[in-house]
Amino acid sequence: MSTHRDDHLELCAGYVLGNLSETETGTLEGHLEEGCPTCEAEINRLGRGAWAFASATPRLLEPASLRARVLDTVRAESGRRAPIKLPRRRLAPVVAWVAAAAAAVIAAVGVIEWRAASRLERELADARGEMSKLQQELQSEREWAALLAAPQARVIELATTPDGSPQLRARVAYDPATRRAVVAVSDFSPPPGKDYQLWAITKTGPASLGLLRTDRSGRALIRLPDAGDPFTLAAFAVSLEREGGAPTPNAPAGPVVMVGKIGS
Amino acid sequence: MTDLGRDGYCVERMRAGDSRALEELYDRHNGLLYSVVLRIVKRAADAEEVLQEAWLQIWRAAATYNAARGTVGAWLVTVARSRAIDRIRSEGSRQRAEEASGADPPPPTEDASANAAHRQMSERVTRALDQLGPQHRQVLEMAYFGGLTQNEIAGRLNAPLGTVKSWTRQALIRLGDLVPREEWM
Repeated sequence: MSTHRDDHLELCAGYVLGNLSETETGTLEGHLEEGCPTCEAEINRLGRGAWAFASATPRLLEPASLRARVLDTVRAESGRRAPIKLPRRRLAPVVAWVAAAAAAVIAAVGVIEWRAASRLERELADARGEMSKLQQELQSEREWAALLAAPQARVIELATTPDGSPQLRARVAYDPATRRAVVAVSDFSPPPGKDYQLWAITKTGPASLGLLRTDRSGRALIRLPDAGDPFTLAAFAVSLEREGGAPTPNAPAGPVVMVGKIGS
Repeated sequence: MTDLGRDGYCVERMRAGDSRALEELYDRHNGLLYSVVLRIVKRAADAEEVLQEAWLQIWRAAATYNAARGTVGAWLVTVARSRAIDRIRSEGSRQRAEEASGADPPPPTEDASANAAHRQMSERVTRALDQLGPQHRQVLEMAYFGGLTQNEIAGRLNAPLGTVKSWTRQALIRLGDLVPREEWM
Protein backbone atom coordinates (compact mmCIF):
# COMPACT_ATOMS: atom_id res chain seq x y z
CA MET A 1 0.00 0.00 0.00
CA SER A 2 1.40 3.43 -0.92
CA THR A 3 1.77 6.04 1.78
CA HIS A 4 -1.32 8.19 2.08
CA ARG A 5 -0.68 11.91 1.95
CA ASP A 6 -2.99 14.88 2.34
CA ASP A 7 -2.37 15.95 -1.22
CA HIS A 8 -3.98 12.66 -2.29
CA LEU A 9 -7.07 13.62 -0.31
CA GLU A 10 -7.11 17.07 -1.88
CA LEU A 11 -7.32 15.47 -5.32
CA CYS A 12 -10.44 13.46 -4.52
CA ALA A 13 -13.07 16.14 -5.29
CA GLY A 14 -11.49 16.85 -8.68
CA TYR A 15 -11.24 13.12 -9.31
CA VAL A 16 -14.95 12.64 -8.62
CA LEU A 17 -15.75 15.48 -11.03
CA GLY A 18 -13.14 14.34 -13.56
CA ASN A 19 -11.50 17.74 -13.74
CA LEU A 20 -7.97 17.01 -12.56
CA SER A 21 -5.01 17.28 -14.88
CA GLU A 22 -3.80 14.03 -16.45
CA THR A 23 -0.84 13.95 -14.10
CA GLU A 24 -3.02 14.48 -11.04
CA THR A 25 -5.42 11.77 -12.21
CA GLY A 26 -2.49 9.40 -12.77
CA THR A 27 -1.10 10.19 -9.33
CA LEU A 28 -4.37 9.51 -7.54
CA GLU A 29 -5.27 6.43 -9.60
CA GLY A 30 -1.81 4.97 -8.96
CA HIS A 31 -2.32 5.59 -5.26
CA LEU A 32 -5.81 4.03 -5.33
CA GLU A 33 -4.60 1.01 -7.26
CA GLU A 34 -2.23 0.26 -4.43
CA GLY A 35 -5.10 0.46 -1.97
CA CYS A 36 -6.01 3.43 0.21
CA PRO A 37 -9.15 3.09 2.34
CA THR A 38 -8.96 6.79 3.34
CA CYS A 39 -9.11 8.04 -0.25
CA GLU A 40 -11.67 5.37 -1.22
CA ALA A 41 -13.91 6.60 1.60
CA GLU A 42 -13.42 10.24 0.56
CA ILE A 43 -14.29 9.41 -3.07
CA ASN A 44 -17.36 7.54 -1.91
CA ARG A 45 -18.40 10.48 0.27
CA LEU A 46 -17.86 13.11 -2.43
CA GLY A 47 -19.35 10.84 -5.10
CA ARG A 48 -22.53 10.80 -3.09
CA GLY A 49 -22.67 14.60 -3.48
CA ALA A 50 -22.04 14.39 -7.21
CA TRP A 51 -24.82 11.82 -7.44
CA ALA A 52 -27.22 14.15 -5.61
CA PHE A 53 -26.25 17.00 -7.94
CA ALA A 54 -26.83 14.82 -11.01
CA SER A 55 -30.11 13.46 -9.61
CA ALA A 56 -31.52 16.98 -9.45
CA THR A 57 -31.13 17.42 -13.22
CA PRO A 58 -34.56 18.02 -14.79
CA ARG A 59 -35.57 14.84 -16.62
CA LEU A 60 -36.02 15.08 -20.36
CA LEU A 61 -37.88 12.66 -22.58
CA GLU A 62 -35.48 10.54 -24.58
CA PRO A 63 -36.33 9.55 -28.18
CA ALA A 64 -38.21 6.25 -28.25
CA SER A 65 -35.79 4.83 -30.82
CA LEU A 66 -32.74 5.28 -28.60
CA ARG A 67 -33.37 2.21 -26.46
CA ALA A 68 -33.46 -0.14 -29.45
CA ARG A 69 -30.31 1.37 -30.95
CA VAL A 70 -28.35 1.11 -27.71
CA LEU A 71 -29.46 -2.44 -27.04
CA ASP A 72 -28.78 -3.51 -30.64
CA THR A 73 -25.25 -2.16 -30.33
CA VAL A 74 -24.66 -4.03 -27.10
CA ARG A 75 -26.23 -7.24 -28.41
CA ALA A 76 -24.02 -7.08 -31.49
CA GLU A 77 -21.03 -6.77 -29.18
CA SER A 78 -22.21 -9.61 -26.97
CA GLY A 79 -23.18 -11.85 -29.89
CA ARG A 80 -20.14 -14.03 -29.42
CA ARG A 81 -21.23 -14.65 -25.87
CA ALA A 82 -24.85 -15.61 -26.61
CA PRO A 83 -26.02 -18.27 -24.19
CA ILE A 84 -26.48 -21.75 -25.64
CA LYS A 85 -30.13 -22.39 -26.45
CA LEU A 86 -31.23 -26.02 -26.27
CA PRO A 87 -34.03 -27.26 -28.59
CA ARG A 88 -37.28 -28.12 -26.80
CA ARG A 89 -38.96 -31.14 -28.36
CA ARG A 90 -41.08 -33.95 -27.02
CA LEU A 91 -39.03 -37.14 -27.11
CA ALA A 92 -39.45 -40.67 -25.78
CA PRO A 93 -38.50 -40.78 -22.07
CA VAL A 94 -35.16 -42.61 -22.45
CA VAL A 95 -34.17 -40.66 -25.55
CA ALA A 96 -35.26 -37.49 -23.84
CA TRP A 97 -33.15 -38.37 -20.77
CA VAL A 98 -30.08 -39.12 -22.91
CA ALA A 99 -30.64 -35.98 -24.93
CA ALA A 100 -31.03 -33.95 -21.77
CA ALA A 101 -27.86 -35.44 -20.29
CA ALA A 102 -25.95 -34.78 -23.52
CA ALA A 103 -27.31 -31.27 -23.67
CA ALA A 104 -26.28 -30.73 -20.07
CA VAL A 105 -22.75 -31.95 -20.86
CA ILE A 106 -22.57 -29.73 -23.94
CA ALA A 107 -23.90 -26.80 -21.97
CA ALA A 108 -21.48 -27.48 -19.13
CA VAL A 109 -18.53 -27.69 -21.52
CA GLY A 110 -19.77 -24.54 -23.24
CA VAL A 111 -20.09 -22.73 -19.96
CA ILE A 112 -16.65 -23.89 -18.83
CA GLU A 113 -15.08 -22.78 -22.10
CA TRP A 114 -16.94 -19.52 -22.03
CA ARG A 115 -15.92 -18.91 -18.42
CA ALA A 116 -12.31 -19.66 -19.28
CA ALA A 117 -12.51 -17.27 -22.22
CA SER A 118 -14.15 -14.63 -20.03
CA ARG A 119 -11.50 -15.12 -17.38
CA LEU A 120 -8.74 -14.77 -19.96
CA GLU A 121 -10.39 -11.63 -21.33
CA ARG A 122 -10.58 -10.18 -17.85
CA GLU A 123 -6.95 -11.12 -17.14
CA LEU A 124 -5.90 -9.53 -20.41
CA ALA A 125 -7.87 -6.39 -19.55
CA ASP A 126 -6.29 -6.38 -16.08
CA ALA A 127 -2.81 -6.79 -17.57
CA ARG A 128 -3.45 -3.95 -20.01
CA GLY A 129 -4.73 -1.80 -17.16
CA GLU A 130 -1.65 -2.64 -15.09
CA MET A 131 0.65 -1.80 -18.00
CA SER A 132 -1.16 1.49 -18.55
CA LYS A 133 -0.84 2.28 -14.86
CA LEU A 134 2.88 1.49 -14.85
CA GLN A 135 3.39 3.67 -17.90
CA GLN A 136 1.57 6.50 -16.17
CA GLU A 137 3.66 6.00 -13.04
CA LEU A 138 6.86 5.96 -15.08
CA GLN A 139 5.84 9.13 -16.86
CA SER A 140 4.93 10.72 -13.55
CA GLU A 141 8.29 9.73 -12.02
CA ARG A 142 10.09 11.18 -15.04
CA GLU A 143 8.19 14.44 -14.64
CA TRP A 144 9.02 14.68 -10.95
CA ALA A 145 12.67 13.84 -11.60
CA ALA A 146 12.71 16.53 -14.29
CA LEU A 147 11.60 19.07 -11.69
CA LEU A 148 14.73 18.53 -9.60
CA ALA A 149 16.96 18.82 -12.67
CA ALA A 150 15.15 21.78 -14.26
CA PRO A 151 17.45 24.81 -14.60
CA GLN A 152 14.63 27.17 -13.70
CA ALA A 153 13.76 25.25 -10.51
CA ARG A 154 14.39 27.09 -7.27
CA VAL A 155 15.43 25.54 -4.00
CA ILE A 156 14.13 27.32 -0.94
CA GLU A 157 15.56 26.56 2.49
CA LEU A 158 13.02 27.41 5.16
CA ALA A 159 14.36 29.08 8.30
CA THR A 160 12.88 28.66 11.73
CA THR A 161 11.14 31.62 13.35
CA PRO A 162 11.36 32.43 17.07
CA ASP A 163 8.21 30.28 17.49
CA GLY A 164 9.80 27.21 15.88
CA SER A 165 12.12 24.56 17.30
CA PRO A 166 15.65 25.11 16.01
CA GLN A 167 16.02 21.48 14.92
CA LEU A 168 13.29 21.74 12.25
CA ARG A 169 14.61 21.34 8.71
CA ALA A 170 12.61 21.96 5.53
CA ARG A 171 13.54 22.50 1.91
CA VAL A 172 11.27 23.13 -1.08
CA ALA A 173 12.24 22.58 -4.73
CA TYR A 174 9.80 24.62 -6.82
CA ASP A 175 9.52 24.78 -10.59
CA PRO A 176 7.76 28.02 -11.65
CA ALA A 177 7.21 26.63 -15.16
CA THR A 178 5.10 23.67 -14.05
CA ARG A 179 4.14 25.04 -10.61
CA ARG A 180 5.19 21.71 -9.11
CA ALA A 181 7.16 21.44 -5.92
CA VAL A 182 8.85 18.77 -3.85
CA VAL A 183 9.06 19.38 -0.12
CA ALA A 184 11.60 17.56 2.04
CA VAL A 185 11.38 17.86 5.81
CA SER A 186 13.28 16.27 8.67
CA ASP A 187 13.05 16.37 12.46
CA PHE A 188 9.36 17.23 12.12
CA SER A 189 7.66 15.52 15.04
CA PRO A 190 4.66 17.58 16.13
CA PRO A 191 3.62 17.61 19.79
CA PRO A 192 0.66 15.35 20.63
CA GLY A 193 -2.61 16.74 19.28
CA LYS A 194 -0.82 19.01 16.81
CA ASP A 195 0.04 18.98 13.10
CA TYR A 196 2.48 20.94 11.01
CA GLN A 197 0.83 22.63 8.03
CA LEU A 198 2.52 23.93 4.89
CA TRP A 199 1.45 27.23 3.34
CA ALA A 200 2.06 29.09 0.13
CA ILE A 201 2.33 32.80 0.92
CA THR A 202 0.99 34.74 -2.03
CA LYS A 203 0.37 38.40 -2.73
CA THR A 204 -3.28 37.84 -1.84
CA GLY A 205 -2.56 35.93 1.36
CA PRO A 206 -1.72 32.44 2.58
CA ALA A 207 -3.08 29.29 0.91
CA SER A 208 -2.84 25.89 2.53
CA LEU A 209 -0.74 23.28 0.76
CA GLY A 210 -1.70 20.55 3.19
CA LEU A 211 -0.47 18.94 6.36
CA LEU A 212 3.10 17.72 6.74
CA ARG A 213 2.66 14.17 7.89
CA THR A 214 6.00 12.48 8.54
CA ASP A 215 7.26 9.03 9.33
CA ARG A 216 8.36 8.02 12.81
CA SER A 217 11.75 9.60 12.32
CA GLY A 218 10.09 12.94 11.52
CA ARG A 219 10.95 12.80 7.82
CA ALA A 220 8.70 13.29 4.77
CA LEU A 221 9.07 13.87 1.06
CA ILE A 222 5.93 15.47 -0.31
CA ARG A 223 5.05 16.19 -3.92
CA LEU A 224 2.84 19.15 -4.68
CA PRO A 225 1.29 19.06 -8.18
CA ASP A 226 0.42 22.76 -7.90
CA ALA A 227 2.30 24.82 -5.32
CA GLY A 228 1.03 28.11 -6.68
CA ASP A 229 1.24 30.77 -9.34
CA PRO A 230 4.84 32.02 -9.75
CA PHE A 231 3.56 35.55 -10.36
CA THR A 232 1.93 35.74 -6.94
CA LEU A 233 3.87 33.19 -4.89
CA ALA A 234 6.29 34.93 -2.54
CA ALA A 235 7.24 32.38 0.11
CA PHE A 236 6.56 29.05 1.74
CA ALA A 237 5.78 28.79 5.43
CA VAL A 238 5.01 26.14 8.03
CA SER A 239 2.66 26.62 10.96
CA LEU A 240 1.95 24.48 13.99
CA GLU A 241 -1.76 23.78 14.11
CA ARG A 242 -4.14 21.72 16.14
CA GLU A 243 -4.55 18.17 14.82
CA GLY A 244 -6.21 18.20 11.40
CA GLY A 245 -4.96 21.64 10.45
CA ALA A 246 -6.21 25.22 10.49
CA PRO A 247 -10.00 25.66 10.27
CA THR A 248 -9.74 27.69 7.07
CA PRO A 249 -7.49 27.04 4.06
CA ASN A 250 -6.43 30.67 3.78
CA ALA A 251 -5.13 31.57 7.21
CA PRO A 252 -2.88 29.79 9.71
CA ALA A 253 -4.47 29.67 13.15
CA GLY A 254 -1.33 28.57 14.99
CA PRO A 255 2.16 30.08 15.18
CA VAL A 256 4.27 30.22 12.02
CA VAL A 257 7.38 28.18 12.80
CA MET A 258 9.27 28.31 9.49
CA VAL A 259 9.45 30.67 6.52
CA GLY A 260 11.39 30.64 3.26
CA LYS A 261 11.17 33.41 0.66
CA ILE A 262 11.34 32.60 -3.03
CA GLY A 263 14.24 34.43 -4.62
CA SER A 264 13.94 35.96 -8.06
CA MET B 1 -34.79 -6.95 -3.48
CA THR B 2 -34.19 -3.18 -3.52
CA ASP B 3 -33.18 -1.26 -6.65
CA LEU B 4 -29.64 -1.09 -5.26
CA GLY B 5 -29.60 -4.86 -4.85
CA ARG B 6 -31.06 -5.39 -8.31
CA ASP B 7 -28.46 -3.03 -9.83
CA GLY B 8 -25.61 -4.91 -8.16
CA TYR B 9 -26.99 -8.22 -9.39
CA CYS B 10 -27.28 -6.79 -12.92
CA VAL B 11 -23.58 -5.91 -12.89
CA GLU B 12 -22.76 -9.46 -11.80
CA ARG B 13 -24.86 -10.81 -14.67
CA MET B 14 -23.23 -8.44 -17.17
CA ARG B 15 -19.84 -9.71 -16.05
CA ALA B 16 -21.13 -13.18 -16.92
CA GLY B 17 -22.18 -12.00 -20.39
CA ASP B 18 -25.92 -11.56 -19.85
CA SER B 19 -26.99 -8.61 -22.01
CA ARG B 20 -30.52 -8.66 -20.58
CA ALA B 21 -29.01 -7.36 -17.35
CA LEU B 22 -27.91 -4.26 -19.25
CA GLU B 23 -31.47 -3.82 -20.52
CA GLU B 24 -32.69 -3.74 -16.95
CA LEU B 25 -30.13 -1.13 -15.99
CA TYR B 26 -31.01 0.89 -19.07
CA ASP B 27 -34.67 0.96 -18.15
CA ARG B 28 -33.96 2.06 -14.60
CA HIS B 29 -31.28 4.65 -15.28
CA ASN B 30 -31.20 5.92 -18.85
CA GLY B 31 -33.71 8.69 -18.15
CA LEU B 32 -31.21 10.38 -15.86
CA LEU B 33 -28.23 9.56 -18.08
CA TYR B 34 -29.95 11.11 -21.10
CA SER B 35 -30.87 14.26 -19.19
CA VAL B 36 -27.33 14.74 -17.82
CA VAL B 37 -25.66 14.03 -21.17
CA LEU B 38 -28.00 16.33 -23.10
CA ARG B 39 -27.38 19.10 -20.58
CA ILE B 40 -23.67 18.78 -21.38
CA VAL B 41 -23.60 18.27 -25.14
CA LYS B 42 -26.73 20.36 -25.88
CA ARG B 43 -27.69 18.61 -29.13
CA ALA B 44 -30.04 15.62 -29.01
CA ALA B 45 -28.20 13.84 -31.83
CA ASP B 46 -24.90 14.17 -29.94
CA ALA B 47 -26.54 12.93 -26.75
CA GLU B 48 -27.80 9.81 -28.50
CA GLU B 49 -24.37 9.03 -29.94
CA VAL B 50 -22.72 9.61 -26.60
CA LEU B 51 -25.17 7.28 -24.88
CA GLN B 52 -24.64 4.53 -27.43
CA GLU B 53 -20.90 4.75 -26.75
CA ALA B 54 -21.46 5.00 -23.01
CA TRP B 55 -23.66 1.91 -22.73
CA LEU B 56 -21.19 -0.05 -24.83
CA GLN B 57 -18.45 1.05 -22.48
CA ILE B 58 -20.59 0.06 -19.50
CA TRP B 59 -21.08 -3.37 -21.04
CA ARG B 60 -17.39 -3.83 -21.69
CA ALA B 61 -16.24 -2.41 -18.37
CA ALA B 62 -18.69 -4.13 -16.02
CA ALA B 63 -15.73 -5.89 -14.40
CA THR B 64 -14.20 -2.55 -13.41
CA TYR B 65 -17.17 -1.37 -11.35
CA ASN B 66 -15.98 -0.80 -7.78
CA ALA B 67 -18.76 -0.82 -5.20
CA ALA B 68 -16.45 0.82 -2.63
CA ARG B 69 -16.62 4.07 -4.59
CA GLY B 70 -20.39 4.34 -5.00
CA THR B 71 -23.59 2.80 -6.29
CA VAL B 72 -24.11 1.28 -9.71
CA GLY B 73 -26.36 4.22 -10.61
CA ALA B 74 -23.62 6.70 -9.75
CA TRP B 75 -21.12 4.66 -11.78
CA LEU B 76 -23.42 4.69 -14.83
CA VAL B 77 -23.84 8.46 -14.61
CA THR B 78 -20.08 8.87 -14.23
CA VAL B 79 -19.38 6.82 -17.37
CA ALA B 80 -22.00 8.63 -19.45
CA ARG B 81 -20.97 12.06 -18.21
CA SER B 82 -17.29 11.32 -18.92
CA ARG B 83 -18.14 10.40 -22.51
CA ALA B 84 -20.15 13.60 -22.86
CA ILE B 85 -17.30 15.72 -21.49
CA ASP B 86 -14.88 13.92 -23.84
CA ARG B 87 -17.22 14.82 -26.68
CA ILE B 88 -17.30 18.55 -25.98
CA ARG B 89 -13.55 18.55 -25.37
CA SER B 90 -12.77 16.65 -28.54
CA GLU B 91 -14.78 19.13 -30.55
CA GLY B 92 -12.46 21.75 -29.13
CA SER B 93 -15.47 23.82 -28.33
CA ARG B 94 -14.69 25.53 -25.09
CA GLN B 95 -17.49 27.90 -25.88
CA ARG B 96 -19.92 25.07 -25.38
CA ALA B 97 -18.45 24.38 -22.01
CA GLU B 98 -18.89 28.03 -21.14
CA GLU B 99 -22.48 27.98 -22.29
CA ALA B 100 -23.08 24.83 -20.30
CA SER B 101 -21.81 26.53 -17.17
CA GLY B 102 -24.90 28.72 -17.23
CA ALA B 103 -28.15 27.45 -15.82
CA ASP B 104 -30.10 27.45 -19.08
CA PRO B 105 -31.88 24.13 -19.58
CA PRO B 106 -31.84 22.55 -23.04
CA PRO B 107 -35.05 22.79 -25.04
CA PRO B 108 -36.36 19.16 -25.40
CA THR B 109 -39.54 18.01 -23.71
CA GLU B 110 -39.45 17.47 -20.00
CA ASP B 111 -40.44 14.10 -18.64
CA ALA B 112 -43.22 15.32 -16.37
CA SER B 113 -43.83 12.06 -14.52
CA ALA B 114 -40.13 11.53 -13.79
CA ASN B 115 -39.74 15.14 -12.71
CA ALA B 116 -42.62 14.81 -10.26
CA ALA B 117 -40.84 11.83 -8.70
CA HIS B 118 -37.54 13.68 -8.45
CA ARG B 119 -38.85 17.10 -7.55
CA GLN B 120 -38.15 16.61 -3.88
CA MET B 121 -34.45 15.84 -4.46
CA SER B 122 -34.19 18.72 -6.90
CA GLU B 123 -35.63 21.13 -4.35
CA ARG B 124 -33.35 19.83 -1.61
CA VAL B 125 -30.28 20.27 -3.81
CA THR B 126 -31.33 23.80 -4.79
CA ARG B 127 -31.94 24.74 -1.15
CA ALA B 128 -28.62 23.24 0.00
CA LEU B 129 -26.65 25.11 -2.65
CA ASP B 130 -28.50 28.34 -1.87
CA GLN B 131 -27.46 27.97 1.76
CA LEU B 132 -23.82 27.53 0.77
CA GLY B 133 -23.65 30.45 -1.65
CA PRO B 134 -23.85 31.09 -5.40
CA GLN B 135 -20.16 30.39 -5.94
CA HIS B 136 -20.60 26.79 -4.77
CA ARG B 137 -23.32 26.18 -7.35
CA GLN B 138 -21.24 27.93 -9.99
CA VAL B 139 -18.13 25.78 -9.47
CA LEU B 140 -20.22 22.61 -9.60
CA GLU B 141 -22.07 23.73 -12.72
CA MET B 142 -18.82 24.67 -14.45
CA ALA B 143 -17.15 21.41 -13.50
CA TYR B 144 -20.03 18.98 -13.83
CA PHE B 145 -21.84 20.29 -16.89
CA GLY B 146 -19.15 22.50 -18.41
CA GLY B 147 -16.28 20.04 -18.10
CA LEU B 148 -13.90 22.79 -16.97
CA THR B 149 -10.74 21.92 -15.06
CA GLN B 150 -10.13 23.35 -11.62
CA ASN B 151 -7.50 25.71 -13.01
CA GLU B 152 -9.90 26.93 -15.71
CA ILE B 153 -12.63 27.55 -13.14
CA ALA B 154 -10.21 29.47 -10.94
CA GLY B 155 -9.24 31.59 -13.95
CA ARG B 156 -12.81 32.30 -14.98
CA LEU B 157 -13.96 33.18 -11.49
CA ASN B 158 -10.75 35.04 -10.76
CA ALA B 159 -10.49 33.04 -7.56
CA PRO B 160 -7.48 31.24 -6.04
CA LEU B 161 -7.24 27.59 -7.05
CA GLY B 162 -7.29 26.52 -3.39
CA THR B 163 -10.54 28.39 -2.87
CA VAL B 164 -12.13 26.73 -5.90
CA LYS B 165 -11.07 23.33 -4.56
CA SER B 166 -12.45 24.23 -1.17
CA TRP B 167 -15.83 25.38 -2.58
CA THR B 168 -16.08 22.24 -4.67
CA ARG B 169 -15.39 19.94 -1.76
CA GLN B 170 -17.75 21.79 0.59
CA ALA B 171 -20.55 21.65 -1.99
CA LEU B 172 -20.10 17.93 -2.65
CA ILE B 173 -20.05 17.11 1.05
CA ARG B 174 -23.16 19.20 1.70
CA LEU B 175 -25.04 17.58 -1.18
CA GLY B 176 -23.89 14.11 -0.19
CA ASP B 177 -25.60 14.58 3.15
CA LEU B 178 -28.91 14.87 1.27
CA VAL B 179 -28.72 11.30 -0.01
CA PRO B 180 -30.27 8.86 2.48
CA ARG B 181 -27.81 6.19 3.59
CA GLU B 182 -30.09 3.38 2.41
CA GLU B 183 -30.04 4.85 -1.11
CA TRP B 184 -26.27 4.84 -1.24
CA MET B 185 -24.76 1.88 0.59
